Amino acid sequence: MKKFQLGEFEEIVLLTVGVLYDEAYGVAIKQEIERRLGRKVSVGAMQSALRRMEKKGYLSSREGETNAKRGGKPKRYFNITAYGRKALEYSRDVRTELWNAIPEIAFDVKMA
Amino acid sequence: MIKEWADRLFRWYCHPDYYPDIKGDLEELYNEHLQGNARIAQYRYAGDVLLLFRPTLIRPITKNSIIKDTGMFRNYFKISVRNLVKHRVFTGINVIGLAFGLASFLLINEYIRFERSYDRFFTDSDQLYRLTTDQVVDSVLGTRDAMSFHPSGRALVEEIPSILNYTTTYKFDEVIVRKGDQLMTEKKIVAADSNYFKLFDYEIISGDPETMLNDPNSLVLTESKAKAYFGDQNPIGETIELLGRFQRQFQVTGLIRDTPENTHYKFDILMSLKSIQDRLDNDGWNGFNYYTYLLIDRKADMEKVREQMPELSRKYIGEDSKLVFNLQPVEDIHLYSDFTFEPEIHGSAKSVNFLVIISVFILMIAWVNYVNLSTARAVDRAKEVGLRKVIGAHKGQLMFQFLFESLLVNLVGALLAIGVAELLLPYFNQLIGKDITEHVWNQPEFLKSLLVFFLIGTAVSGFYPAIVLSEFKPVTVLKGKFRNSKSGVLLRKGLVVVQFAASLILIAGTFVVFKQVNFMQQKDLGMDIDYVIGFSNPGYSRDQREEMTDRFKMFKEDLKNHHAIINAGMVTNLPGGGSSDISSTSGGVRIVGMTDRLEATTYMMWSDEGYYETIGMELIGGRYLDEDLQIDSSSCIVNEAFVRRFGIYNLDSVLNEKIMFGRDPDNDKYPIVGIVKDFNRTSLKKEVEPTVMFLWERPSYTLVKLNPQNYQEGLAHVETTWSKFFSNAPYDYTFIDQRFERLYQEDKRFGKVFGSFSVFAIIVAILGLFGLSAFMAIQRTKEVGVRKVMGASVFNIIAIFYKDFLSLVGIAAIIGIPIVYYAMDSWLDNYAYRINFPWVLIGLAILMIVLFALLTVGYQTYKVAIINPSKTLRYE
Repeated sequence: MKKFQLGEFEEIVLLTVGVLYDEAYGVAIKQEIERRLGRKVSVGAMQSALRRMEKKGYLSSREGETNAKRGGKPKRYFNITAYGRKALEYSRDVRTELWNAIPEIAFDVKMA
Repeated sequence: MIKEWADRLFRWYCHPDYYPDIKGDLEELYNEHLQGNARIAQYRYAGDVLLLFRPTLIRPITKNSIIKDTGMFRNYFKISVRNLVKHRVFTGINVIGLAFGLASFLLINEYIRFERSYDRFFTDSDQLYRLTTDQVVDSVLGTRDAMSFHPSGRALVEEIPSILNYTTTYKFDEVIVRKGDQLMTEKKIVAADSNYFKLFDYEIISGDPETMLNDPNSLVLTESKAKAYFGDQNPIGETIELLGRFQRQFQVTGLIRDTPENTHYKFDILMSLKSIQDRLDNDGWNGFNYYTYLLIDRKADMEKVREQMPELSRKYIGEDSKLVFNLQPVEDIHLYSDFTFEPEIHGSAKSVNFLVIISVFILMIAWVNYVNLSTARAVDRAKEVGLRKVIGAHKGQLMFQFLFESLLVNLVGALLAIGVAELLLPYFNQLIGKDITEHVWNQPEFLKSLLVFFLIGTAVSGFYPAIVLSEFKPVTVLKGKFRNSKSGVLLRKGLVVVQFAASLILIAGTFVVFKQVNFMQQKDLGMDIDYVIGFSNPGYSRDQREEMTDRFKMFKEDLKNHHAIINAGMVTNLPGGGSSDISSTSGGVRIVGMTDRLEATTYMMWSDEGYYETIGMELIGGRYLDEDLQIDSSSCIVNEAFVRRFGIYNLDSVLNEKIMFGRDPDNDKYPIVGIVKDFNRTSLKKEVEPTVMFLWERPSYTLVKLNPQNYQEGLAHVETTWSKFFSNAPYDYTFIDQRFERLYQEDKRFGKVFGSFSVFAIIVAILGLFGLSAFMAIQRTKEVGVRKVMGASVFNIIAIFYKDFLSLVGIAAIIGIPIVYYAMDSWLDNYAYRINFPWVLIGLAILMIVLFALLTVGYQTYKVAIINPSKTLRYE
């Protein structure tokens, strides 16, 4: 019953795009993830995740403004689509379900 | 810098849709990082670029892919194919020329590779050396002998630590073998010590390589010999009997694979060296009749090893001996060694080099055809080039287009070449007398060379036309004011000259080779060998000597009594043998009281008195040896060369003087009772051998002179007489003139190879000329029309065209003749008896080229010249 395909890294990127709302472009997403998760993100890994998800329809993008700092190249802003939102919700539901299914005893044993 | 390169790489592989914004991100990050160390920022940039190389982000391969412009590719292909199909003759000439050129070039290459592969298949072949013996008199190098003393191998291993191992071998002329009631003559028997397989690691099928040559009377058979003697039965432990001097049983102790074609030392049967211990004991440091091979440490300094040779030679052979050990790499023997007493007729580096030149000529001629024809046709393509340029093609693209076209033509040529080579291969194998390979299409080496030379050919033949064609100025071309450039015409003429010169060199070279071979076959040998047959006498053991002497005598009498037999005689070696077929001494010789001792090789023959007349020798002074005279058992006769070598020109003055070998004054002295005219016992490559002839009653060969009128009767009589006298020995005769023919086999073969490939080269050249003159004639159609209107006859017009081509042939002759002279004269110098340089034949070769040129050009011109001017001049 695999409805949505969403990898762990993809999920993080997707969520971060949501967090940044209207300001989600390459560098901003990268820095936001790095700040929040405290881990290094390569441009390559992130860009390929973004493009992959755009192809799957989780993201939409538009060309943005440019500035001198970017060597005259435009920014590309990403937004979560309704379908992307569904994918995120699905992913969260699956996790919650799994959480609920864990018997108390399992935690007990772990704490002991 | 790093950033620039990284960026260029990124732009190349990145999907164009993603490029701008990712590039922007990268820039932004870079600028941020710049606040730290600039170098580190650059590295981080490059690192990011490398990490961006992911399937999702790179350009798709099919559309807008890394290779650009497939659209234009398709267009080039289409236009090329259309053009090639439209000009069928042009394409055909090029493709056929290239196919034949490549095929012959590659076939010759296969042969050369084969010739150079001799003796390289042993594991340590680069460490193997043959110990040979040089004669050095007053530090001048004399005769170089391929053989050596049998104890010398062991001595050198003991003296020089870097010489690791040795093997001593002895090669028999022939041995007669009996198995049951079957008699066979084995011509490739070699005796070798038990080290043999440590140096020459032939594949052993059964038997222990360490021990199978240890015991006396053991034999190691090759696979095919074992099959001949024992069929499919296991030969190990079986026995066969060797007749002649052995007269005893030998046991088979080992079985090995057949020796391949590409080794200089082939054998069918190996015998343990201990089986000839009596001979070894006898020879010691007295006679060098053995082939010795050494294994020398790869790290050894060969210069140092060689330096020790003179000293060691003195130590072992004798203080005042003129003989010096010499080391010769085994890998070089086949092509470079030209010593006396070589185990087989060897190849020659010179003929291999000649073949390389021929093959390059052929290939070159084919490439030149392409260059000439495509530039000559430039007019046809000029408009296309102009239009393409107007539309926006730049020079690089046009060059690429024309290179692509040449690639197509070369590709078709190369594919066809495989077929041509495959078809020619059987003839080629026959031509060179060796089976180099069964097929070419499955030979990786062949295909590799094909690929390499196909690519080289594309570049060489395609590059210049591509430059010429892509250089046209659109304005001039499209205005229709186009003529071939001066320099282009000049280059084309130059190339035609090169082709003519190459053809001339090949034709003339072929003539010279044939003439020399013919000369050698016709030359007076100082003997009359027509209708003379020779065969080997049965061997005998020590205690059969007396009986055999009588029997030989009766045998000869019986032969001579027949009306179809003119004469019969016996001798130690048949005329027409190889250089190793004769006895010789290097111990020095003098005519007592007349000359000092001469340190040089003297050849020796023993015969009965019937030999001289049977072989038709000519007496110059004195008399022949006579069996009835007691004194003649220790007399001798000599040939002219022997006397002249002492600087004596009054030949008769040596009659009744005595000759003495060696330095000991008590040695035997032999009075000279006769002098015979020089005779060529072996190939005319070699000078006449200074020879001394003695009497002997039981030499190993019989010669019979048959009556030409009824020689077949004579042949039959010899055979019946043989079976009457020697029923248990095989009888196998040859005509002596055939033996001489065989000596020149290699030379004849060389002539044939030379000739055949010259014919190829010339065909390809004529094809090119055919195409070129056709285009030139068509281009000058209008000129011809105008000339005809003005009153020129067809003959006048053809003459105008001829003038052009004949001057080219003239220049080609001026270039070609010195090259032919230099190359072929030095080739002729290989022969002791050579023809003078045949200038007449060179003239004939030029005449042939002129004839070919006139016919080809004449045909094409004639076609244009007969057109009615009203047709050619109608438009414009």
